[in-house]
Amino acid sequence: MVKRFDCLKLLASWMDEHMLTVTSRGGNAREWAHLRPGGANFHSLNLGTCLGFALGVSLAFPRRKVVAIDSDGSLLLDTSALVTVADVNPPNLLVLVFDNQAYAAMGATATARAADLQQMAQGAGIKKTGTIATLEDFAVTVKKAFDAQELAFYVIKVAPGRERVKVDSRFIHGRPMLENFVTAVRNHPDYRGGFTPAKD
Amino acid sequence: MDRDTIATIIDALKKEKIDLVVTLPEEPTSPLTEEIRRDPYFTSVTVAGEGHGISLCAGASLSGRGCVFITGIAGLLVGTWSLAQMGVLYGIPVFILASYRGDIADRSGISGAQLFMFQQIGEPLLNALRVPYKVVDKKSDLERRIIDGHSACQGFGTPLVLLLTGDVLWSNDSTA
Repeated sequence: MVKRFDCLKLLASWMDEHMLTVTSRGGNAREWAHLRPGGANFHSLNLGTCLGFALGVSLAFPRRKVVAIDSDGSLLLDTSALVTVADVNPPNLLVLVFDNQAYAAMGATATARAADLQQMAQGAGIKKTGTIATLEDFAVTVKKAFDAQELAFYVIKVAPGRERVKVDSRFIHGRPMLENFVTAVRNHPDYRGGFTPAKD
Repeated sequence: MDRDTIATIIDALKKEKIDLVVTLPEEPTSPLTEEIRRDPYFTSVTVAGEGHGISLCAGASLSGRGCVFITGIAGLLVGTWSLAQMGVLYGIPVFILASYRGDIADRSGISGAQLFMFQQIGEPLLNALRVPYKVVDKKSDLERRIIDGHSACQGFGTPLVLLLTGDVLWSNDSTA
């Protein structure tokens, strides 16, 4: 098992300012917000909504890398999203599922028992999949997928717990986080829309 | 759904620069989504579940891509969790065209008990989720409702649903 924070630190070092990320809740959001405070990051999507949302972002920015930073509990709520992702097959989407085999401190997910998310992704039709258990493997295998123009899906087996990091919580939840994301995408060179968040 | 209705909807979507269409096939809207699939203007995504379909539309819409989710009331029920997250929590515009299953003009042939369930639950569900909606029951209103509905969806910053009744969905001379 690896530490999620170490993997995310590597991932942050690979990102350029125009890449986009989407995260699920909890440690994924906190650690990623600490490591990549700027840029287009949509944080803290609740259970089952991260992967679909990331697919939508990837279709809006087809020339940019989009990274979904999901978790085992979140993905397990809506594994049918794997079928849709495989079907659309966006070459700019990299899906990373940090699998600590638990719902935070509240008990084990099915990946602690018999469920294998990599095999589920493969069975759904995603061609490039893998399970990562060491930082060295993450550095080589995931970096290669990160640089490629091909849909890829990796489960990273991580140790329980989270890194103690300083993050302004307002910017990983709700409307303030959303406004940061919208500001970043509206300034993006590929942005072609006109959405303005509702004002109070 | 007759050819003129399909053409009206497609033209209105193009006027609104909506070029990403997300759907899970259902009977009343399938002639429309089949036609959209054949039109190279559109990117058409068939989802395996309405929950992530709504999340997909939220991600695309917030990122500036014109997007519509085409579903029915059953799809709104399945997508409730995502609608609550994207709507109440974040205020993300998700434009939805939904067949009004259970409307008294629904000629789909599914059981009356199912239709009654949709008829009873559909609008209260949207109200509970604070999702604005408009019932469209005249073909002549379709284009204006789509243009105004999409504009309101963006302006409100929320999911918004146009409920298409049987008067709009079903041809007079056919069941599809």
